[in-house]
Amino acid sequence: MAKVAREMVEKSGINVDQLVELLVKNAAAELTTYYYYTILRCNLIGLEGEGIKEIAEAARIEDRNHFEALVPRIYELGGKLPEEMKAFHDASACPPARLPKDPSDTQAILKVLVEAERCAVRGYTHICNLTAGKDHRTYDLSQAILNEEVEHESWFSEFLGEGPSGHFMRRGENSPFVSKFLR
Amino acid sequence: MKEFSKEELTQYNGKNGTPAYIGYKGKVYDVSGSFLWSDGNHQVLHNAGADLTDAMGQAPHDGDALEKFPMVGTLRHVGTESSEVAS
Repeated sequence: MAKVAREMVEKSGINVDQLVELLVKNAAAELTTYYYYTILRCNLIGLEGEGIKEIAEAARIEDRNHFEALVPRIYELGGKLPEEMKAFHDASACPPARLPKDPSDTQAILKVLVEAERCAVRGYTHICNLTAGKDHRTYDLSQAILNEEVEHESWFSEFLGEGPSGHFMRRGENSPFVSKFLR
Repeated sequence: MKEFSKEELTQYNGKNGTPAYIGYKGKVYDVSGSFLWSDGNHQVLHNAGADLTDAMGQAPHDGDALEKFPMVGTLRHVGTESSEVAS
């Protein structure tokens, strides 16, 4: 635990135990999403699905990166991950991104993907709001993750015909915002 | 449709197998079936069995998020409760 770092956050008025629990829930959401996206990506096949597979893969890898980036902050603040994987899964801040009943329905898969990203966008916006001007490190991390989650949402939203995302998918490295926390 | 007092609502906190009900703008919703309300808690900060109208203002979503949940009653206005107690 980073004793003074935790103390500084406490002194800012944040309930650190609640914040840690929130970070654990979001870390769980990231890792479980990584798992469920693996299944979704495998089922993105055929003329319609194949074009989305690579983008789902970028989101999948970046969600795993978010998990990796969140874990050190949890321990710095005196928290820890649940010992049981099932408890971790069930504590997720977002519902499971399960494969739709008809796995060949690409639109249904896209809806699962976009809803998962929207849950994440809400979650990190919430953490940013809680930590802004108080816990600078958690804010910086959450904001970096939020930037990537917003991009993921816009990618899938574009495929659902909700309008242009306004940018291209990744070129080169993944996690342009979060990578500084992974070094 | 059942009318809940705030005290009655506290019994539906989602703990120990009880249903998870929340109040919002005078209506009571059953969120028991939601993954996001497991054990009657939502995103660490919010507990079922309470009127969350004020808390919604700080949430990263609006009240529309409740529309998918069954409405199970209405929440008795505090003023009404006070007058009942007085009588």
